[in-house]
Amino acid sequence: MIFPFTAIVGQDEMKTGLILNVINPSIGGLLIMGEKGTAKSTAVRALAELLPEIDVVKGCPFNCDPDGLLCSGCREILESEGSLERERKKMEVVELPLGITEDRLIGTLDIEHAIKKGEKRFEPGILAAANRNFLYVDEVNLLEDHIVDLLLDSAAMGVNTVEREGVSFTHPARFILVGTMNPEEGDLRPQLLDRFGLCVQVGSIQDKAKRVEILRRRAAFDADPEAFAAVWQPEQDGLSKGIMAAKGRLGRIIPPDAALERIVGVTTSLELDGHRADIVMMKAAMALAAFRGRVSISDDDIRDVAQLALSHRMKRLPFEEMGVGMERLETALTGVLRA
Amino acid sequence: MTFSDFVGHDDAKLALILNAIDPNCGGVLFAGEKGSGKSTLSRLFKEILPEAFPFIDLPLNITEDALMGGVNIEDTIKTGRRVFQPGVLGRADGGVVYIDDVNLLSPDIASLVLEAMGRGENIVEREGIALRHPSRFILVASMNQEEGVLSPHLLDRFGMMVLWEGLKEGPQRIEVIKKAAPDVFGRSLSREDRCLRDKIRSCRSVLKDTVIPAETRDYIAQLCIENNIPGSRGDIYLMYAARAHAAYCGRKEVTRDDVDAVAPLVLAHRKRVSQQQQQQQMEQQTEQQEGRQEHGEQTGSDGQEKQHGSQSSGKHREPDGSRPDQAGMDGPDDGGRQQMESNPKEEVFETGGLFKTKRIILRKDRVNRSVSGRRTKTGSRDKSGRYVKSVQRKKDDIAIDATLRAAAPHQKARGRTEVILIRDDDLRFKQREKKMGHLVVFVVDGSGSMGARRRMVETKGAVQSLLMDCYQKRDRVSMIVFRKDRAEVILPPTSSVENASRRLREIPVGGKTPLAAGLLEAYRLIKRATVKSPEMRAIGVLITDGRANQGISGAPIGEEVRKMAQLLSELSLTDYIVVDTEDKSGFIKTDLALQIASQLGADYHTIEGLRADCLVEMVQMKKVGVFGF
Repeated sequence: MIFPFTAIVGQDEMKTGLILNVINPSIGGLLIMGEKGTAKSTAVRALAELLPEIDVVKGCPFNCDPDGLLCSGCREILESEGSLERERKKMEVVELPLGITEDRLIGTLDIEHAIKKGEKRFEPGILAAANRNFLYVDEVNLLEDHIVDLLLDSAAMGVNTVEREGVSFTHPARFILVGTMNPEEGDLRPQLLDRFGLCVQVGSIQDKAKRVEILRRRAAFDADPEAFAAVWQPEQDGLSKGIMAAKGRLGRIIPPDAALERIVGVTTSLELDGHRADIVMMKAAMALAAFRGRVSISDDDIRDVAQLALSHRMKRLPFEEMGVGMERLETALTGVLRA
Repeated sequence: MTFSDFVGHDDAKLALILNAIDPNCGGVLFAGEKGSGKSTLSRLFKEILPEAFPFIDLPLNITEDALMGGVNIEDTIKTGRRVFQPGVLGRADGGVVYIDDVNLLSPDIASLVLEAMGRGENIVEREGIALRHPSRFILVASMNQEEGVLSPHLLDRFGMMVLWEGLKEGPQRIEVIKKAAPDVFGRSLSREDRCLRDKIRSCRSVLKDTVIPAETRDYIAQLCIENNIPGSRGDIYLMYAARAHAAYCGRKEVTRDDVDAVAPLVLAHRKRVSQQQQQQQMEQQTEQQEGRQEHGEQTGSDGQEKQHGSQSSGKHREPDGSRPDQAGMDGPDDGGRQQMESNPKEEVFETGGLFKTKRIILRKDRVNRSVSGRRTKTGSRDKSGRYVKSVQRKKDDIAIDATLRAAAPHQKARGRTEVILIRDDDLRFKQREKKMGHLVVFVVDGSGSMGARRRMVETKGAVQSLLMDCYQKRDRVSMIVFRKDRAEVILPPTSSVENASRRLREIPVGGKTPLAAGLLEAYRLIKRATVKSPEMRAIGVLITDGRANQGISGAPIGEEVRKMAQLLSELSLTDYIVVDTEDKSGFIKTDLALQIASQLGADYHTIEGLRADCLVEMVQMKKVGVFGF
């Protein structure tokens, strides 16, 4: 039994960051930075309940999109049979544990099949399961370097290519990377940091009433998880519907040039390199507008996603803490949005 | 000997009993000296548990495979199906896991154990196996802080911590010996233990009906806020511990008293000293020390004092350009001024400009160890590292999954019947690697002479530049500052260079130069770190002008420094750099740091040289065999 997402007290930024990624998976994931015991893992695991359904090729271990990129297996079927059977499946949060080995991440030869049938077959790994799903890495900064390399590789290509033990296989690996980390434990490699579309910082709750509420809910949940979940079901349903509606609305949003100019105005005044920041900010603002029930982007949307999208991309001197840039961000926002 | 007979340490016993009543309490950590009974009590713990629990002693050298589980080689070969062999986490389900010296456990393994405890589940994704199984256990661990500390992050996951102090009183100590005398581990269960066991059983059954009134929850939250407890784990563990305590006392409702009774157990290791408090503490400390010094050194007042007095505000004061050695010793203040201002010796300089250093490259050696950083590549000698890939080469560490994969496609052709046919050329072996950077220990002179001509600004710039290199190479860094009468580890080994950089900014300057104390502290720190990972390579970076003028033992200061340098140079797998901060443009040069460098067998640089050298390819790197910039 998993603690309901809507029952998590506070931490609104983190929740928003996750929800925006559900609404538009191409935002590129979320990095949750914060001190110990701040419901980081709880929130991500709780997210699974709220995830929408997606169209997949029936029986495909890679959740191939029948209308999109296909794996080697699905391509063969499509060529030989002319069409693909489809089914609907809930999105998942796939966990990548710290102790993972390379073969389980990218997949390898299926021993059983090889022994019994004497033929080589690819056995999918975590990246297969993660295709079109959330890939969750707790304590991502503690991940082994050789695993990070593999992860970055497929995250960049959107494809996992396996060449080992005489098996060659290619399958799509487009996942939404969600990571948590405690900065006190060590830094994250810059390439990996940049991979995350959004980034939030979570801190301890200092409000007494809220802390009491956390205790009350936790005690109730531990005592009777089913009953607790039942109490929160209406909230869960409400949020789930809200997300689905937002997903539907997203396609109707065409960001006006004025909004784009404002976004670029903010990023250029912060002297951010590259276009990833601009794109992520636009997508996040669109998703937020959709979630708020609108089909047009407002200044508030831009303001509210700016920190999520930019805090980890701000130019900072080496080892300058992340918080340092926040004031500059605030100044830039005020400057651009008032104009 | 029985649990109830165990003399003293009531808080430790209470912690164990509460965990026995409710495993939600999150385990307990005993921190204290060696030989004080920590493990004895932990082993007696199983006597009071109602069920016959598995009690697992986790060895420090445990491998990841053994911990999490892996492929069962025999069954897999026989059947040709991958058979999972549960590891310690699998066998521990429903029982107790005891870790002696948990602070010496590799952080990776500790992380995995605590993660499994938190979830109550073990997730295996390795060697072709993907599964989850329940792993609910009570974690009992002990540590001796003298041998190194546990990171706050890991500490936070323990429900309770007990500071274990050796029994000091004579009668109690005699009692201990008496109890231990007849039978060290008597198997017979005392009547008290049996009673306790029954009581724990009955407490468990009433636990669900024990009410936590809103007022008590309020009190818990209040207490945690007041104590600056980060996150929510403290609140939650406090609630469960208080509830177990209420049940233990036979109450149906959790009261403030219950909370107060368990609060020290739950909160002691989570308290975070806020920045403000920390500063206050530091100020108090320096006030005291300054007070002492002022009394002792009422000499040599001159014009400088007034100058200091008039530049009253702020910490960043231009240092006077006078004789450097005097800066730490100059004289009296008129008592009327405020403490912070009256203190000409306490200065905090900013970090000087960054420059690119040459890559620090370690000497290549032929030691095949289980350590690999981003700096030096190294293979694995034992089976402790992480299995990264399989290779076709003779060794005794067979990669069964890869071997089977190699053999599998040929089985039909080879005419397999009952067992799998594996030929020599199918055999694959594990190539392991362990993630572990080098340890770089900065030993920084914070004495008064460093304040002269803004030496410290340059020094900090140099250290910061070196830190950048450490960051890119994934090293762990640590920082020791020596000033006044002692050396202090201001940053225990960490991989967060951000933290290091913050501490660097905060280094104050002033006072005498206890160089030997600094070297001794470095020796201790490296020694401690090597206990944890014996094959780790360390780099000591000493930044000083070498003018020691404060001893530690009363022996001649120069002699002390020489001895300490000797001691350090005998540490295996440790290399040194000395950065000389003496002003070489001056009239008098002592080159004391150069002497220390040669005693240490270190690479020697002046601060100016560090910059200049960075433009030149360091050819001598090979010759000296240490590293260059």
